[in-house]
Amino acid sequence: MEENKIVSLSDLKKGMSARVVNVQSQNKALRRRFLDMGITQGVIVKIKKIAPLGDPISIELRGYELCIRKSDMKNIDVEVIQ
Amino acid sequence: MKVALVGNQNCGKTTLFNLLTGSNQKIGNWPGVTIERKEGELIHSNITVVDLPGIYSLSPYTSEEIVSRDFLLNEGADLIINIVDATSLERSLYLTSQLLELDAPVVVALNMADLLEKKGIVIDAEILSKELGVPVVTISALKNTGVDKLVEILTDKKTQKKKNNIKIFPKNIENELKNAENIVKSENKRFVFVKALEGDELFNESKNKEVTRSREIIEKLYGYDIEQVIANERYNKIVEIRDKCLKKISKKQTVTDKLDKVFLNKWFAIPIFVLIMTGVYLLSVGVVGNYTIELMESFITLVSEWVTTGLENLGASAWSISLLVDGVIAGVGAVLAFVPQLIIMFLCISLLETTGYMSRISFIFDKLFRSFGLSGKSLVPFIVGSGCSVPAIMTCRTIEDEKEKQMTVMLTPFIPCSAKLPIIALFAGFFFPNNSGLVSASLYFFAIVVIVLLALFLKRFVFKSQNNSFISELPEYKAPSVKYVSKDVFDKTRDFISRAGTIILFCSVIIWFLSSFSLKFEYGIPIENSILAGIGKLFSWFFYPMLGELNWAASVSAIQGLIAKEQVVSSMTVISGVAGGEAGIFSSAVFAGFNPASAYAFMVFNLFSAPCFGAIGAMRSELGSAKKTWLAVLLQTAVAWVMACLVFGVGSLFLMG
Repeated sequence: MEENKIVSLSDLKKGMSARVVNVQSQNKALRRRFLDMGITQGVIVKIKKIAPLGDPISIELRGYELCIRKSDMKNIDVEVIQ
Repeated sequence: MKVALVGNQNCGKTTLFNLLTGSNQKIGNWPGVTIERKEGELIHSNITVVDLPGIYSLSPYTSEEIVSRDFLLNEGADLIINIVDATSLERSLYLTSQLLELDAPVVVALNMADLLEKKGIVIDAEILSKELGVPVVTISALKNTGVDKLVEILTDKKTQKKKNNIKIFPKNIENELKNAENIVKSENKRFVFVKALEGDELFNESKNKEVTRSREIIEKLYGYDIEQVIANERYNKIVEIRDKCLKKISKKQTVTDKLDKVFLNKWFAIPIFVLIMTGVYLLSVGVVGNYTIELMESFITLVSEWVTTGLENLGASAWSISLLVDGVIAGVGAVLAFVPQLIIMFLCISLLETTGYMSRISFIFDKLFRSFGLSGKSLVPFIVGSGCSVPAIMTCRTIEDEKEKQMTVMLTPFIPCSAKLPIIALFAGFFFPNNSGLVSASLYFFAIVVIVLLALFLKRFVFKSQNNSFISELPEYKAPSVKYVSKDVFDKTRDFISRAGTIILFCSVIIWFLSSFSLKFEYGIPIENSILAGIGKLFSWFFYPMLGELNWAASVSAIQGLIAKEQVVSSMTVISGVAGGEAGIFSSAVFAGFNPASAYAFMVFNLFSAPCFGAIGAMRSELGSAKKTWLAVLLQTAVAWVMACLVFGVGSLFLMG
């Protein structure tokens, strides 16, 4: 995937890092949880582990690991770093 | 004085609570919700410590957050101990940034100092204290270091009077916050004002004109919505503080990553899980569990014989001996027989939880169970439930989502437990002698189909959970602490005995009374003249569509299954014995009407209907309301009835054809 391109977090492959550019707000409660857990604009996230059945996915951010479902990750727009 | 203990999940909060309060604890339920609230007295003082649920934020979205927030805002704490997990400083300080907006003074306990050194990270507590403007104590809850210092600081009058006055937001936002003094009339002005700015509808101030104006100013300035602005700015400040107090970071691959390469491996994860759960199953309900149950049962028999002779020698009346032996001891004994098995089960679960493997289970199976509206963690109670529903229902409390938890609690009793095996053995052995193995297996398959269908039904019509999300921390692996695990197992066991014990005792005495007395309150009558038999006759129409006849004895036996499912078979044995069926249960007049179709139907009913009182008691404590428990029991019985009638109908067609 090209660097600096804006994609959805769910499009990233294992081991890729990206910077969060926007957290979409269709689902207010979900978005609030994302913000509270540290998924805010500018934060760098890395796709760390994938569950054996392919979903959910564990991402690394702010020095800890967070599990999220792919469908929820669609709400997070990121800019690919590497 | 009241001190609240606040921190993220998994930050060592409970361990610190135990250290602070020793054994002076009491557990109660929060009003309205099923979250337990723990209180305890700080050793050698008049300070009450309240252990609040583990939370990441004071937003009003999860029940834990609401409970903690309500406590801090309404009941009020005189002081807050904020436990900060030093290994995930950034995420922990987010909650701190919110707590510092409250009026109560905050003391930060920086936990897990030892783990930190291992990872090659050093945090300067002095700088952190200066940046946050509150006392910071480095502690290790696990190794009990620094706790004395913490107690010293929180009992200090100076700490208790200190005001939090950190300005975490940039000037342009802080300027707007100055309005808080005039607009917010309640306490915790700064906190309420920030929440009102964010549009939190629980505060009327969110609709205030001034607040709306401030919100518009800030949103215009940043170009995006206020919630994102506030969260961003909190984290920006936190990163700034982190960079100042963090001394060294090494970027090695951690032990957790190496372990996860195995435990979360695409190919090995599920086989390893099967292996671990087989181990848990064998330990608690398999070999060891069965052995301990037999041991306890023979012990209880011994006690009841001893009590009988003792009372007879004292000249007690027959009915009072029977009340004590057949009612109280038999009933309570049925609960106590599970205790050794439960202790092993709780031990295994506690180990799975504290090591961090439990979080992996839901991570591995989330995808599969989500489609039925359940959680990956629902698998654990289902497996444990094939042994005994009671500990199985109690493991449901590890499921974070309230709806998923309640669904799992309601569905777990559908798994045929080991106490239902005698029923299967009796009916399958007699009516399907050549295929008894196949018939037993078909019942387990039946159970799985019923669970999946019912889960889909509950998801769609009762809980209406559509696309709930799964957002959960994947904690690091930790070596379990003996102290913590033993206390955890002890607490849960005590809890079980006191809660389920009272329900069982009550119900057993009632069933004893109904089966021992006639409607004219005569004692020492044959069972078919008892009130219970009367009730059996009253209810025999209920069983008519699955038995094809009115049979009070089968009805009574099924009702007795409420005490314990083994009771169904023993009740049938007693009744057929009284009715003179020497050649076996099904040759006696009362049970002669059974045919293969009604036998299978009767098995289905007993397997799926209301579970035993022990399990109902456990359901009551996990569902947190009597109403929900009754609804669950009714639902289970209704499903069992419909299934049994269908089986009888279809089976009868086959028999005729």
